[in-house]
This record gives sequence, structure tokens and C-alpha cells, in this order.
Amino acid sequence: MITLPKSTAETGMLTNLSAENTALEIKNLDLYYGDKQALFDVSMKIPKGKVTAFIGPSGCGKSTLLRCINRMNDLVDICKVDGSIELQGINIYDKSVDVAALRRKVGMVFQRPNPFPKSIYENVVYGLRLQGIKDRRKLDEAAENSLRSAALWNEVKDRLHDNAFGLSGGQQQRLVIARAIAIDPEVLLLDEPTSALDPISTLTIEELITELKAKFTVVIVTHNMQQAARVSDQTAFMYMGKLIEYDDTNTLFTTPNKKQTEDYITGRYG
Amino acid sequence: MQSDLSNQLRANQKRVIKDKLVKYSISSGGALVLVTLLLIFGYLLYVVLPIFAPVSIEVEKQFTQTKNEKIYALGLDEQNDISFQIDEQGTISFISLREHDLGDMLLQKKMLSSPVAFAQTSPRHNTHLLTNQTGQAIIFKPEFDTSYPNDQRLISPRISYPFGDQLIDIDPQGKAINVVSFELDDEYAAIAAVTSDNRGLLVVFNATEDMMTEEIVWESELIELPSMPKNVSQMLLSPDFNNLFIRSNDNLIVYDISDADNIRLKSAMSVNAPGSHVTDIQLLTGASSLMVANENGVISQWFEVLKDNKRSFTFIRDFSAGESIADIVPEFFRKGFLTTDKQGYLSIFHTTGDTRLLNEKVSNNENLSVAFSPRANALLVVDSQQVTLYTLDNEHPEITWSALWQKVWYEGYPEASYLWQSTSASDDFEAKMSLVPISFGTIKAAFYAMLFAVPIAISGAVYTAYFMSSSIRSYVKPTVEIMEALPTVILGFLAGLWLAPLIENQLPGIILLLITLPLSIFVTAALWTLLPNNIKQAIPEGIHPLILIPVLLLAGYMSMSFSDTLELWLFDGDTRMYLTNELGINFDQRNSLIVGIAMGFAVIPTIYSIAEDAIFSVPKSLTMGSLALGATPWQTLAKVVILTASPGIFSAVMMGTGRAVGETMIVLMATGNTPIMDWNIFEGMRSLSANIAVEMPESEVGSSHYRVLFLAAFVLFLFTFVFNTVAELVRQRLREKYSSL
Repeated sequence: MITLPKSTAETGMLTNLSAENTALEIKNLDLYYGDKQALFDVSMKIPKGKVTAFIGPSGCGKSTLLRCINRMNDLVDICKVDGSIELQGINIYDKSVDVAALRRKVGMVFQRPNPFPKSIYENVVYGLRLQGIKDRRKLDEAAENSLRSAALWNEVKDRLHDNAFGLSGGQQQRLVIARAIAIDPEVLLLDEPTSALDPISTLTIEELITELKAKFTVVIVTHNMQQAARVSDQTAFMYMGKLIEYDDTNTLFTTPNKKQTEDYITGRYG
Repeated sequence: MQSDLSNQLRANQKRVIKDKLVKYSISSGGALVLVTLLLIFGYLLYVVLPIFAPVSIEVEKQFTQTKNEKIYALGLDEQNDISFQIDEQGTISFISLREHDLGDMLLQKKMLSSPVAFAQTSPRHNTHLLTNQTGQAIIFKPEFDTSYPNDQRLISPRISYPFGDQLIDIDPQGKAINVVSFELDDEYAAIAAVTSDNRGLLVVFNATEDMMTEEIVWESELIELPSMPKNVSQMLLSPDFNNLFIRSNDNLIVYDISDADNIRLKSAMSVNAPGSHVTDIQLLTGASSLMVANENGVISQWFEVLKDNKRSFTFIRDFSAGESIADIVPEFFRKGFLTTDKQGYLSIFHTTGDTRLLNEKVSNNENLSVAFSPRANALLVVDSQQVTLYTLDNEHPEITWSALWQKVWYEGYPEASYLWQSTSASDDFEAKMSLVPISFGTIKAAFYAMLFAVPIAISGAVYTAYFMSSSIRSYVKPTVEIMEALPTVILGFLAGLWLAPLIENQLPGIILLLITLPLSIFVTAALWTLLPNNIKQAIPEGIHPLILIPVLLLAGYMSMSFSDTLELWLFDGDTRMYLTNELGINFDQRNSLIVGIAMGFAVIPTIYSIAEDAIFSVPKSLTMGSLALGATPWQTLAKVVILTASPGIFSAVMMGTGRAVGETMIVLMATGNTPIMDWNIFEGMRSLSANIAVEMPESEVGSSHYRVLFLAAFVLFLFTFVFNTVAELVRQRLREKYSSL
């Protein structure tokens, strides 16, 4: 039997992070789907310019937590959130916050590549066009920069106006990343970005993630512990809607504090 | 063990049979669908194609001509058994065309010795007149009596004398009559004549029934025509006794003789083709058209056209036979005619069809005479050597490509136009079978229906698929789809009998409704956002659109109750009169607006259902992707969802259009079925399908009308075929482009 701690707050993980180094601060977050509670009193600080990984078994709430950060859960009618998430000191669940504006600051990449049925170029500049930017030169520049940042430029520069569906899965996922970083967000959320990809593509994306942290705060949900170990600076382990342990990746994987964490990373369950 | 495994590996006989059975029954089902389609196609073509079959003649019987005299007139009985010839010696000879006594003289009689002029009535009265040197004439009619001795048909010739077998005095001065024309019907007859001293005479006969003996007595009256040109070459009396045509070389003089006491010169003009001379004039059946033949082979058609409030003879169209024309022979009942020339060529024409249907050499010598049989199924050709009976295959001369699809100048109309008017009470009627107005009607009806249906259906689909909560959606979608099962006859009935009078009476209200409905929706939406949150949240999710229902009802009621006030205020109390008099817009009670609404209502479920499926099946990942990039729901809808669903939406619209094009009952009941060509929304139309439904029961099987209705069906078939093909091709292209994940 696994005994759960009464509160995650007592673990005191990375609590001493200074305000200017904190990208996001999650405070006492509870989330309910109808009557069912999916997240229990989650509190954590996500550092700026680092890669933070959420790991845990299926259904542990790691994706739900990730979706709270850009309020994608708002799309679920029956979803209700208590507590707060502060993006640079501003509570994103405050009434004055415009969801669309928030999502421009907190970009997201999903499990499966989801390019729009448009050309590669139009996919990348989609977010900019939404903001009403029409200047061709600006768009071209942004497209090139973000495609370069997503390590895709060399592969697609000759066929920018071809349909995005012509790309391979890995390329599509990098295109989606390029699309997300084209609008210059503060935080980039990656929801199991490699789970639908082959090992080679996975490797490319992982390399990309390491490069991306120079410019963005990256939060990644992954199934794959090795991936978390490879790409992340901090790792949070979640279990049954609770944050069990949150620490530097090295610490968490080598000397976990909690029994559950150890059991999970050593493959006893999950 | 071994045999056990081989048993297991062996195919199960039952399963194999089942598998094959299913395979073959499904394939044969599919094949049958194709075969049925082809059969429909084939049958339509089978009925339609004879319209376009070329005209042909074929020698049926032939014997040697015994006479050398020039022939004045030729004729046949209805069965093509007996022919008659009237020659310049004044003799009428009946000659058998039957197999067993081919060429035998059955009856011969000298009607008048040394005649000077000859005239005959229009072919259907088949009465003839010969004049002599002393101003007298004999009128006679070849008749054929049918009897059935021994149950065998026997046709025997006879000569009857409608005016008695005595000579009739035409010129009281007893001068020779050189040119004569003659026409009669049941109660009236007229003879126009020119004497050798160039006096123009008109003798009119009125029939009165003797009260005692019940005999018909003809009373005659002699009128002298006011002025006569010199060298009268030809005279023609119209069968309606309204006009007398006098041709003097290339000039045509028309007298109005409708009032015998007041004969007026109507017009005088030259009618020859440029650079040529007139050789013959002839009236077509129906008396409206005059055909003028020229030396250069041009035959021109003239009839009276109303222009500047005056009827005047106008050149309509011309035909070319190539060679100098010797004679024009009109058909008995149709607007066709044939010409012969000096080279022995025979040409057959039809005026409505505007074409030469046949040109064939039938003789080597000049003295060629030709007659149509009464049923227009045979031709009798006589020259100085031979008498030949040709069978004539000319069933549908009036239907040609140009008559169906181009403007035709019909008799009595002021200009060439597209018209559909397939039948009328009159025998002289020229059938007007242009498919253009009814094809136009189909497109017009579909257009207005789509104008009404597409915005509503697509917006509805977008709302249901994209904004509506799934619990409400599960009620709304099947409800709209059930509308499709509503029989269209009910929609048509409601539209024609309830909606049409309503809209007619409340037109200002209906127009007001176009403004108040959207406005009330916007106002309600704006007020909703101003409501305090606790009231908003008190209303369960998904129910709030229902708030619109009372609002819309109220807006509708208000519009309707303001209708009368508005009518008084803006339209002088009568919108219909105002539209017609002030704006020049015709208003029919059953019009395109009614059809647009009723048929729009019928196609909404089709479009809605397919479009909704298409929008709903846009992958959520795309919507999420767009929202995650900071798009508002509206931006996501416009830039991603609609785009991705576009193949489905397009095909929904095309399916709807296909349905609107083929829809029959609603257009039949709600349009008034007037085959006019006008985009005016307040006027009706007649569609291809409604036209078939209206006219098929009254058309004679195998007639031109019948076949043209089948052609209309074929065109309708092609319409839907083209629509569906284009829809499918575009859909494939779009799907390739926007194929989603």
C-alpha cells in the first residue's frame, strides 16, 4: 500500500525560488470535473528559462495541470478551478484576464501534430495574422526566425507555400512548435510532444527543447521518464491528482524523497 | 492430431458459400443500380431522338404519266389510295394508287372547256375553281367516299359542287378572268378576280340556311376593287377573309377586305429578295404567314407585326433553296412547306424550325408538280413522264435545335423571343416549344430557394456544431432532419394557399420582418451581455437560445401589426398597386418569393444536415490548436473550422441545389407556372419539372409535344448530373487540399 502525504505543500519543493526567476507560480490549485476532483491543492513554482517536466502514471492529472496554465480547461463546460496561477505575479484566473491574450503569452503544443490545412508559411504566421499583422516583411521575418528556432527552416525553405500535410510527422510537430513560438510567448507548454513520433524525430524534438529554453520557459508533460531525465531541469512527479514530489531532475531521479516517486521511477508501477 | 489440424485448416463449406453469396448479391445489386440508371437514360434518349431524325423520302409507287397537259393542281385522299390531277384543259382525273390497279383512271370529268385561270382554297378545304373566257367560273371539290363492302375498305372518288354544278357569273360584263383567287369556309366564301380589262372584282358569298328546306343557300355580292395595278401576276385570299394579297411582279399590295363595304388598301411594298425577282407567293397554313419565292432560290416569310400601334407586313426570315423556285406548296396542318425548282429539286422547310429539312432531286424535267398528302406522310410527285408516290418521314419538323434553344420569331409576335406555349385551342396554332424559359424557371426557382436556404442552413449548422451544447444538439439535429421527411406537397399546398395570400396582404410587414428579425436578435444578444451574472448563471447551460423564441415571435407580431400602417404611410394604402404603378414591378400572388421560402424550407434540412456533420467532424485538435495560439472562438471558426469543413459545406450546398432543381410539387403549386423569363422576385416561373408534371397527362403519345417533354426530362437529368459531377469534382479537390488529420 502506498501512503499519501496529507498535503503536497509540506514537501516544500523549490519554494525558495526568487520572484524574478519564477515564470509561473501555482497556488493551492483544485480542479473539479463536475463532482469529481481531478487536482488536489497543487502548489509549485516553475522557474524562468528552464525546462520543467511533469511525470506520472496515466490519469494522474499532469496534462490537466498543464492545461490549467493556459486555461484550455475553460473549454470543458463542467470544469471548475479553485486557487490561482500567477504568470509574473498576475493571476491568470482573474476576471480581467482575456483568455485569448493569455494564450498568446502561454503557447501550447499538443500530443499529435495538428497543423492547419494551409501552407507551411500560413501555419507559422497564423498567430500573427490573428493579431492583425499584415505587413508582409514582418510576417516573412517572423516565419523564418521561428522556423529556424524550430530547426525546420533548412528542410522547408524551398516549399514554404506547399501544404503542411506534405510534411512528415516529426516535421509537422516542429512546424507546430514553430507556429507556437512565432507569436513570441513567455511560456511554452508541451503536452507529450513526442508520443506520436518515431525515435529519430523524438530525438530531434528533444534537442530542440533544450535549445528552446534559452528563450522560453518550457513545461513538458511526458510519459517517458528517460525523456524527462534527458531534457528537463526540474521534474514534478504527480500521482492521483496530487503533486508528490518536485525537485531538480537529477535529485529526483537519483535520490527521490518519496517512496512513490522511487517506485515510479524504478518502474514498479505506472 | 495431424488430421485434426488439417480439418481445422480446411475451409468451412458453409462459410465459403455464405461469403460468395453475399459477395455476388452485393455486386449484382450495385450493377443493377447502374443498369437502371442506364435504362432511364436509354429510354429518355429513345423517346427524344426521333425529334432530331433527319427527314427522308422514299419511292413507294410509280407509274407512267399519260397526260401531256400542264397540271394546275394535284391531290391525294387521306389514305394515299387515290390521287387526282386538274389540268389546264379543265379536266379532273382520279387515278388509282392502289397496288392492284395502280395507274388506272377511276373517274375523269371535263369541268370547263378552255379555262383561263385556276384557283384553289387552302389545302384543308380542298376546293377548286376554274374560270373561262366569259367571266364565269365553276367551283368543285374532289371528294373521297369510304365504304366497307365485304369488310374491305373501299375509297371511291366523287366530285361535289358546293355552289351547284352550274357556272357562276363573276364578271357581269363577261370579260375573261385572267387571275383569280378563291377561299371558302362553312358560312362564307370569296372570289377575287382580275378581268382581261384589268378590273378587280371581289365576289363574296354568305351562306344562309333556308328555314323551310334546311338547304344552304349562298347569296352573293359583287364588289369592285378600287384600284388595280397593271400586270397582276397572282392573287391570294387569306382563309380568314381579312386580307387580299395582290402581287404584281415584285410588288405586293394588301387590301383589308374584312369589311366588304369598306375595302381599304392596307399596304403596298416590294417583297423581292435583293437583286432577284419574285416567282411565287403562297400562304402558309393558318393564314398568317405569306411565303415569297424568288428567282435566286430565296424564300422569305412575311407576316403582320404590331409596330408603333400599327399592324404592318414585316419580313421575318428567309430560307434558301439554292435554285429558282417554281412552286411553293404548304402543308395541310403544319407550318411546313415544300418548294420545287426548275432543275427538278424538291426542298422541304419548316418556318418555326427555321431550317431546310430536305433537298432531293425528284425529276429531270421542268413540268414538276408536287402535293402533300393530307396527313403529311406522303408526297405525290408528277412530271411529264411519271407519277411517283413517295413516303415522307417528317414527324417533327418544328422541333430543331434552334427552335428549342434560340429566339424564334413566332407568327403574330412583335419580335423574336423565347416562348413556351405548347398547345392552344386553335388549329392554326404555332407550337412554341423553347426550352429556354422553362430551364430559366428551374434556375430561377433554385436560385431564390438557395438564397433563402443557404444562409439559414449553414448558419444553423455552424451554430449547432460549434456553439451549441451537446445535450441540446442531440435534440435539435434530429428535429431539423425530420423536416426533410415532410411531404413537399404539403409545403407546396401551404405555400400556395396560405403563405401566398398572406404575403400579398402583408407585404410591407414581410419586408419589415427582414429588418426586425435580425435586429431583434442583435438587441437581445446585447441586452444579454448587460444582464447581471447571477441571472445569467441561473439559466442552465444551452437553454439561453430559447430566450430568442418569444423575442422573435414578438418581432414577427409587431411587424405584421405595423404592416397596414406602413402600407398607408409609404405605399398609398396598396402595396401591389404601388409596386406596379410607381415602380413598374409586376406582382403575382404566387411568385418567386413564395417559392424561395417554401422550397428553401424543403432544402434547409438537406444542407443543414450535411454541413453540420462536416463542421462537427472537424478534428478538435485543430480547434484546440487555433485556440491555443490566442485565437478567439470566432477567429477559430472563420479561419480553421469553416475552411476545413469547406468540402462538406460545399457538397451540402450542391446537394441542396440538386434537390431544388429537381423539386416538382412546390414549384408546381406555388409559382403560378407562367413560363416567363424575368428575374423579378414578385413574378412566378415555370420549371422543367413542373412543366412535365403539368403537361405530360395532356400530351398525345408520340407527338412532338410528348417528345419535347421527354427532352425536358432529359435536360433536367443533365442538370442534376452536371450539378452532382461538378459538386463531386470540387469536393474531391477541396478534400485533397484540406484533408484533415
